[in-house]
Amino acid sequence: MDRFPLHMKVNGTQMTVDVDPGMRLLDVLRDVLGLTGTKEGCGEGECGVCSVILDGKIVDSCLVLAPQVQGREIITIEGVARNGELDILQEAFLEAGAVQCGFCTPGMILAGKALLDKNSHPDRREIARAISGNLCRCTGYAKIVKAVELAAARRSGKEGATGA
Amino acid sequence: MLEGGVVGQSVQRVDGLVKVTGESYFAADEKVPAALVLKVLRSRVAHAVVKRIDISEAEKIPGVVRVFTYADIPGENSYGIMVKDQPVLTDKIRFIGDAIALVVAENPDAARKGAEAVKVETEELPPLYDVWSAMAEGAPPIHDKGNILTVGRVKKGDAAAALSRADVVISRLYRTQRVEHLYLETEAGIAYPEHNGLTIKVSTQNPHYDRRDVARVLGLPMNRVRIIQTPTGGGFGGKLDISVQCFLALAAWKLRRPVRMLYDREESFIATAKRHPFIIDYTSGANREGQLLAVKVRIIGDTGAYASYGPATLIRAAVHATGPYEVPSVDIEGLCVYTNNPFSGAMRGFGTPQMAFAFESQMDLLAQALQISPLEIRRRNILRPGSATATGQVLSDSVGIAKTLAAAWEKACQVMPGLGGENQ
Amino acid sequence: MFELDAYYQPESLAVALELLAKSDGKLRPLAGGTDLVPALAKRKIHCPGLIDLSAVSELRAIIAREHEIQIGSMSTFAQIEEFLVIRNRFPLLSEAAASVGSPQIRNTGTIGGNIANASPAADMVTALIALEAEVRLDSSEGFRTVPLQNILEGAGKTHIRPQEIITNILIRPLAPGSRSGYIKLGRRRALAIARLNLAVILAVHENKISLARVALGAVGPNPCRSSALETTLEGQQISSTLVDTFASEAEKEVVRMLGSRPSVSYKQEAVKGIARELLPRLFSSTEGVVA
Ligand SMILES: Cc1cc2nc3c(=O)[nH]c(=O)nc-3n(C[C@H](O)[C@H](O)[C@H](O)COP(=O)(O)OP(=O)(O)OC[C@H]3O[C@@H](n4cnc5c(N)ncnc54)[C@H](O)[C@@H]3O)c2cc1C
Ligand code: FES
Ligand code: FES
Repeated sequence: MDRFPLHMKVNGTQMTVDVDPGMRLLDVLRDVLGLTGTKEGCGEGECGVCSVILDGKIVDSCLVLAPQVQGREIITIEGVARNGELDILQEAFLEAGAVQCGFCTPGMILAGKALLDKNSHPDRREIARAISGNLCRCTGYAKIVKAVELAAARRSGKEGATGA
Repeated sequence: MLEGGVVGQSVQRVDGLVKVTGESYFAADEKVPAALVLKVLRSRVAHAVVKRIDISEAEKIPGVVRVFTYADIPGENSYGIMVKDQPVLTDKIRFIGDAIALVVAENPDAARKGAEAVKVETEELPPLYDVWSAMAEGAPPIHDKGNILTVGRVKKGDAAAALSRADVVISRLYRTQRVEHLYLETEAGIAYPEHNGLTIKVSTQNPHYDRRDVARVLGLPMNRVRIIQTPTGGGFGGKLDISVQCFLALAAWKLRRPVRMLYDREESFIATAKRHPFIIDYTSGANREGQLLAVKVRIIGDTGAYASYGPATLIRAAVHATGPYEVPSVDIEGLCVYTNNPFSGAMRGFGTPQMAFAFESQMDLLAQALQISPLEIRRRNILRPGSATATGQVLSDSVGIAKTLAAAWEKACQVMPGLGGENQ
Repeated sequence: MFELDAYYQPESLAVALELLAKSDGKLRPLAGGTDLVPALAKRKIHCPGLIDLSAVSELRAIIAREHEIQIGSMSTFAQIEEFLVIRNRFPLLSEAAASVGSPQIRNTGTIGGNIANASPAADMVTALIALEAEVRLDSSEGFRTVPLQNILEGAGKTHIRPQEIITNILIRPLAPGSRSGYIKLGRRRALAIARLNLAVILAVHENKISLARVALGAVGPNPCRSSALETTLEGQQISSTLVDTFASEAEKEVVRMLGSRPSVSYKQEAVKGIARELLPRLFSSTEGVVA
């Protein structure tokens, strides 16, 4: 089938790209737009390294067909830092030692961001649930949870005992 | 501490920044204009001789550039970290997933169709799916030299005599399973001809070994092969082996074109090393006080179709068979055995975690038999400064296990209230 | 990427049904895509064309009426989990939705897709069967409303006709004082297909169970009601002995349903565990009680 124009907003920029309707959102991001911060680890919704935020919600871009995002808004890891300034969450990941090989990191940060954008004071269980669709094979998760806690504390301006 | 040093300081990892911004270029993220893509045709049977490979239909598929088979390897068609027993493209199939043909194409779709169009005629051999049938008399040899690859022994004192004197003897057979590393980044790489040689950028844990094997396969001197390790999305031992390296090398070198290759998760499961499944026959003897007198241990590791790090894993298993306990007499043997299963190699702990399952279970059983607490029997046997290991090494300085045991007990009491009491 | 001959994204139900009717069975509805997209991308199935329902806003509404609640087939698990009326009146349904997959799956997968996919372990289906839910199926010719269990025909199979779309799921309210709960056993807490799931609805008056509905999933081709387990509960005083009786009856029921399947020895034990977790929760608390 012919390519068709896909209109969407990616990381704040409105754009139109010609895509094949049999492409997944993941393929559009990586292969058409060159946004390779979004990874592929399984292609079936199990690992979460392809996570992006779609209209405010965390989704696996390997499960979304490109035309399904017609007219919608997407945030990828490349859109998290603003004007070269790291987001609080990115800083917290660095400080808490939540990054090892880094392959899960983009998806983890986006899952954390989707949580904090909705719930500024999550407890540990809520954090664990929010990242339960993202596998990490290196860290053992404890430091990732810590990083999200740290970011939450800083976002609400009262950095405290939870520091790294 | 040294001035400006980092010991004892909390430091940020050097590559941390690009990893939180998504800029870090993993191998599959490399942008290589006009790169050809590769797809391997893998065997669906476990044990067979390849009689004929017909690539004529595959090479007619639009977008397919070339199809390579074992006949196209310019150098030696074998690689391996410890034993050069694994072919790049094989004419004898040794496991489900063995590589038979390599399709080079302009796009993934053509590569896939090309692989589907390669016709392979085989003559099947009886598959050997467990170590017992592989070691049985008359079993078809998977490799020329037979199915028992190595035997490693550790002996100290007279274990048989000590066991016959023991007040309590526990014998059990333990089995552990095959484990996939499941690093989140699947195997990937790119390769391109450069100067008069070849450069490969690849997700690997072993660039120097990769270089040696690639040079061997291409029949080139080592100085014409350059391996660059890309940021590696987890390895855990599984990326010590060759995965995509030789495929990339063969295609890029023969075609003088940049090429790229990426395993999907399924191929990563099928085609790469696993943790060795072990069968452990473990006998321990102790006196009435719970003091270990001797162990007799037989370990059989299923290394699957190829050796990878198998021989070293089994030696390590034998050396660590007594765990953190002092045993005066030992008789330990570790066999590394070929089967027609996926090949086993290095994985975190290198044979020791499998052994821990056995030696710790033995300690619990001994404690039960002697009616002392599991903690106490460990206290009475742990290695301390001055102890000798199974291999006779005298540990002269620090040994961490006593402190570890105490700390673990303290933590256990914290998280499991009511533990204390008789378990002490 | 995979090949597609046709792709449509209609903005109204009427257009969607028209397209489906004309396609001669060649088009398939695409909802959240969590089952369909990976299957297509990995070429486990092939379908010539898709009708993407994501722009049909009529299918996204959840409407609570006096005598029924109507859930649009395109409602996601996350929407169902969070919808207050469902939380208050059908807690087992929000619990079932909350047990699905991961946040990513819950934000994408839909209740209609869960039914049409007809997995033996489908979480929503077990809960909906206990609720005696009905499914409304529309085609360009009209519509029919059928009890959910009547459209399930086996693992991966339904009686949904090629020109039909599930448009709504209809549930009648439970009697005041009813309690309901859902429990799932997976290999881990997130991203696990149910090894077993169990939905229970009870009406309790003065500590006596006047009505019970019990559904079990992952013990046969599709989730289904168990009249044996309902009889075990009905007319009984709530007590810890009743929990024990129920657990051992559940074991027998699982053995009967699974027959000689290899999973039986595991599941017959496991079902006792989930029963012992769910029933006391329903017996003791005010949690899960319909206001
Ligand atoms: C990683 C992962 C984890 C999962 N975990 C769970 C879990 O824990 N529990 C569980 O129950 N399921 C689980 N699933 C399965 C899946 O998410 C659900 O079955 C989901 O409800 C499917 O809905 P969908 O909207 O994504 O359907 P789609 O994939 O879009 O469609 C599925 C099928 O239903 C048909 N269909 C969809 N909507 C309609 C309609 N309105 N009318 C007629 N036919 C229709 C489609 O044609 C297709 O055949 C999981 C899936 C993945 C990938
Ligand atoms: S690649 Fe999408 S979830 Fe693993
Ligand atoms: S840091 Fe390696 S997978 Fe998470």
